[in-house]
Amino acid sequence: MRDNSINSKMTTKGSRGGLSEDWLAVWVGLLIFLLSLGVLGGIDLLGWGVKTQVWTQLSKSLAPVSSSYARLPGIMALFATYFFLVGVASLVASALKVRLWAFVRAFTLVFWTSYLCWILGSFAFIAATPDKVKDFGISWSLNLTSEAGFIVALITGLVIGNFFPAFADWIKPAMRSEWYVKTAIVILGGFFGVSAIEQMGLAKAVIFRGLCAIVEAYLIYWALVYLVARKYFKFSREWAAPLASGISICGVSAAIATGAAIRARPVVPIMVSSLVVVFAVVELLTLPFVAQYFLYKEPLVAGAWMGLAVKTDGAAVASGAIADSLIRARALAVDGVRYQEGWVMGAATTVKVFIDIFIGVWAFILAAIWCTRIEGRRDGRMRSAEIWERFPKFVIGYMLTFLTVLMIGIFFPSLAAKTKEAMAEANVFRGIFFVMTFFTIGVASNFEKLRQEGIWRLAAVYLVCLFGFVIWIGLVISWIFFHGIMPPMAPA
Amino acid sequence: MPEEPRIAEELKTMEHEPLLPVEKKLIAWSIGAGVILLGVLIWLSDVFFAG
Repeated sequence: MRDNSINSKMTTKGSRGGLSEDWLAVWVGLLIFLLSLGVLGGIDLLGWGVKTQVWTQLSKSLAPVSSSYARLPGIMALFATYFFLVGVASLVASALKVRLWAFVRAFTLVFWTSYLCWILGSFAFIAATPDKVKDFGISWSLNLTSEAGFIVALITGLVIGNFFPAFADWIKPAMRSEWYVKTAIVILGGFFGVSAIEQMGLAKAVIFRGLCAIVEAYLIYWALVYLVARKYFKFSREWAAPLASGISICGVSAAIATGAAIRARPVVPIMVSSLVVVFAVVELLTLPFVAQYFLYKEPLVAGAWMGLAVKTDGAAVASGAIADSLIRARALAVDGVRYQEGWVMGAATTVKVFIDIFIGVWAFILAAIWCTRIEGRRDGRMRSAEIWERFPKFVIGYMLTFLTVLMIGIFFPSLAAKTKEAMAEANVFRGIFFVMTFFTIGVASNFEKLRQEGIWRLAAVYLVCLFGFVIWIGLVISWIFFHGIMPPMAPA
Repeated sequence: MPEEPRIAEELKTMEHEPLLPVEKKLIAWSIGAGVILLGVLIWLSDVFFAG
């Protein structure tokens, strides 16, 4: 497995005892968030950040995000963004205690390849929505919005990961899709905070219903997958429990937490995780398009479904982002309805965040059952402190940015417009971390794994459970809790 | 990172373990709690978080 995420998750610390990627996501996300808040005090610290625009002329594909920097050419904004992020990456490298130059070199390649994919995906024939096709002077478009760049990045990553192993090895130090997506999620908290200020009732409903959806998913999914793996595929308990968590809950994190909880040998969660990563990519490439076709009239059902059905944090939130764009584009094309951006992705992220929060709790429950009832040992191998150790720390960053923006909106309503502007600047960096997530997920998905002798017995359980009921029960649960809850309309 | 395992050997050496009563109970309780809670959570959502 080329991805470092499994390695780093096998231990709670980063390389050689450095900070964990989880905490790094919190600090980097908060740094960007705090810098963006300079706008509230009249200091535009991140306005030079580059944003990608739909284009027919390449020179118009890039621009600085803030009008204060309108005179800065797009390409200079891109270089400024790169130098800022490479500085951040250097700090991350020293916190992770990895070799600085190797990390910076790899990060540079990941950044530029990912960004080029994003620019390519923003070409008007691919990205223009129906209401903008005429403005670009073209007669047709694939109507995929500029988030098509994420799919281009994923496919490019898949090609590199599977056909150019030397290049993939070169960028290995920066293959940190989990860090990228968690940093993006911390920044996303502030973005959702702005949406919540504008639609408080709806935001509360999405959060509570997301919580309900995952309670149901944990209780029903895990038990069913465990039953299938044990009874019909004759897996031992050591294999069936991490497999059930990997397939049913949240892929890599859950498989590893469960493996540790029942004291499975490291080989078990590693094999399960390898499979999870491969199948998550298949889901990421298919489910958002299925959702676009069948669920464009129920956008939040689609968002929650992505969170419940697609495994791994990166792929799930990425699916939410793609579904968000695709569904808004189709709703506009078919019904002329213009939904506000971000609510589909918000539903997916909310569900995923709750899933991550509960992994530690679920692992603790399993450890208690295994210790006391299955293996009959009462040596307290799973300490309650492990719930905290396994708690996804990036959730703290997400809650901090969300609540800070919410509090600003509630106690200083006159700052609401400025806060929105600030979050738009932070959101530029969220987009960049997202596109790097897509690219690195692609590179990490080594389909060669599927040729390994014996893997198909594991893959068969995965296929039967995932396509047999995990996806469909996820859809039913999402439908039950989110149907009829509609995102607000965007201003015309 | 441990050395890349050979999965075929791992699965071949895996012994058959019949489902224990406690595992059956875990499965039944989990699904049962899921079904019962479904009703409660739908009610709570509709009454207090209608959107």
